Amino acid sequence: MPHGPLLEALLAGQYICAITNEDYFTKLQRDEVREGLDDYLRPLNRRVATNDEQTVFFLAYRDIDEPAREHLKQQLSVVMSSMLPLLEWLTYVQEAMGSDAILTAGDTIKLQELMVKTEDNPSLRQRLQALANDKFFNSNADAVDAQAKQVAKRLVEHGYLLQPHANRLYFTVTGKIDYLLDLVRFIKDEENIPLDESQSQVELL
Amino acid sequence: MAGQERESQLLSGLFEVGAERLKLIGDHAKLLMQGYLRGSIDVAAVSERSLKRLIAARILYQPDASTEVKLRHPVTQLVAALVTDESRRQIDAGVADKLVAIRGYVEGMREAQRMGDGVRVDSQMLRIEEAVYDLTSQFEEAIFSLWHRLNSNFGFVSNLSDKIRENGRAQQQIKRLIEGLSLIDFDEFIELAEGHPGLRKLLVSRLQQQINTHHGSLLEVQKRLVELMTRFREQQERSLLVVNMAGFLREHPSFAIGDYSYRTQVPRLVNHAAPVLASAGVALDKREQQPALVPLIHSLYKELALKAKVDTASSNSNSIEVNAKQQAVEARQQQLKEDAMQYFIAVCERAQDTQAHDAEPLSALDYLQQQQLSWPPEVWLFQVLGEYNGLPRHEQQLFELYRQEQPASRFNHLYLIADIAVRYQPQSAA
Repeated sequence: MPHGPLLEALLAGQYICAITNEDYFTKLQRDEVREGLDDYLRPLNRRVATNDEQTVFFLAYRDIDEPAREHLKQQLSVVMSSMLPLLEWLTYVQEAMGSDAILTAGDTIKLQELMVKTEDNPSLRQRLQALANDKFFNSNADAVDAQAKQVAKRLVEHGYLLQPHANRLYFTVTGKIDYLLDLVRFIKDEENIPLDESQSQVELL
Repeated sequence: MAGQERESQLLSGLFEVGAERLKLIGDHAKLLMQGYLRGSIDVAAVSERSLKRLIAARILYQPDASTEVKLRHPVTQLVAALVTDESRRQIDAGVADKLVAIRGYVEGMREAQRMGDGVRVDSQMLRIEEAVYDLTSQFEEAIFSLWHRLNSNFGFVSNLSDKIRENGRAQQQIKRLIEGLSLIDFDEFIELAEGHPGLRKLLVSRLQQQINTHHGSLLEVQKRLVELMTRFREQQERSLLVVNMAGFLREHPSFAIGDYSYRTQVPRLVNHAAPVLASAGVALDKREQQPALVPLIHSLYKELALKAKVDTASSNSNSIEVNAKQQAVEARQQQLKEDAMQYFIAVCERAQDTQAHDAEPLSALDYLQQQQLSWPPEVWLFQVLGEYNGLPRHEQQLFELYRQEQPASRFNHLYLIADIAVRYQPQSAA
């Protein structure tokens, strides 16, 4: 099999984007590579799937049988329980960094800078504290330093962030964040969640 | 000739007034910059005389009867252009006016040519050159300003909505500029420059080249602005989505999504399969792979040996304790053995003391009690038996062993030994 390590990463349940592994990502963008992998994965009831923008690749079930449905159901409930803390974290970072945009794949986070900005601002401190205490991030530290590190660690564990150097506190946002937002958008449409656009737009300004 | 003199006089007057007023701007640079930033001049910070001079020089003005004094529009524009303050810079695309001016100058020049007024021809030619320069530089300036805004990502306004508005404004400007460019009719210019090589070069070849370049630049900026706008809108959409969804989830803690995974058509995004771990073990069924495996196993041994070393080091104190215990146990065992030997010696002494062949056999349990030994009776009897059996055969024959025993039950032939008695019988050895 020519794409052994790539297959293994996919089989391990990873989301592959241009940030996590550029090499794999370029390969997966090619139709013939994906078709080859699909053929190989057929007996495992898997196929290569992607989001609308083709920025993230992952494995999906080919035929959705009963155990698959059960697994997907459980997985969804895990995602849903972590959704609010993740969204809160995104708005916290946006506000702390005074940025126009929500983090997206390829953005970098300098944790030191984030910590300094949080230290200086009581409202941000409070938000970080609330985030860190959430069971998803699961920190019971009191110091901004420890809280921020724990939050980042959990995000790395869940594949939303990448830490290129283990001993340096800067992180790169992976395509999984975009996947999460795609999912949020999907759920909003699917559940007809009345997000009052005009109202919040005023708030945002 | 008189005309020429009058003109040069006029020009020198213009020069002096201009230089004087520019100097006035320089002298009050700080005051004017404050006025630019605040929107009005702090009257208290400047003397009455200076204020009057600045107003007379058409640098400042008083919009109405109020005491507010402001910078005149061209001065504001000058500052905005000098510091590339994009939020204040205005681009005037009044191409039509300038075209009318150029037409007028060309007519004036033709007229002067017909009348043979060389000086007027030259001065008109100069005006045409200026007007053309004015026309193109205005586009140049506008394009520079647009690129500047684009490259700074509209950084001069602070939030995304303002950026979106500024981007929209810039796109409107481009549209007007392109419309302005389309007003330039080169067929007309070719006609105007008929028979005059200098004019032809100025109005046709050079202008056309410049206008083409500008047109290309404008289209490029437009494309980039549209791209940027798309990005801004995407960012806005994402921000709203995240903020609103977070708000919604906060307000509805018990919100639950539908059973997506049990639908006939499972949504694409949701379908993320469970991980399959591709693990493998060492297999020895392929001889040709063994050379690859051997060093692996060797290195594994080395690792294990290293680990073991670390383990023993850490458990050294432990093993010392164990050793001590073991030594204590051994010492007791030795003592037991010795006591049993003493018992046999006692048996021999008893036989010698009595000098009789039929000395009473010595009971092992009695001996245990007499000597006040601490061994449990069972252990003691076992040791005595063991000691007896451990003797060489010819020595065994010197002792007669009596077992005091009884059957354990009626159903089998198990006998329990209650006591042992030993008698020394030297003659049987003889």
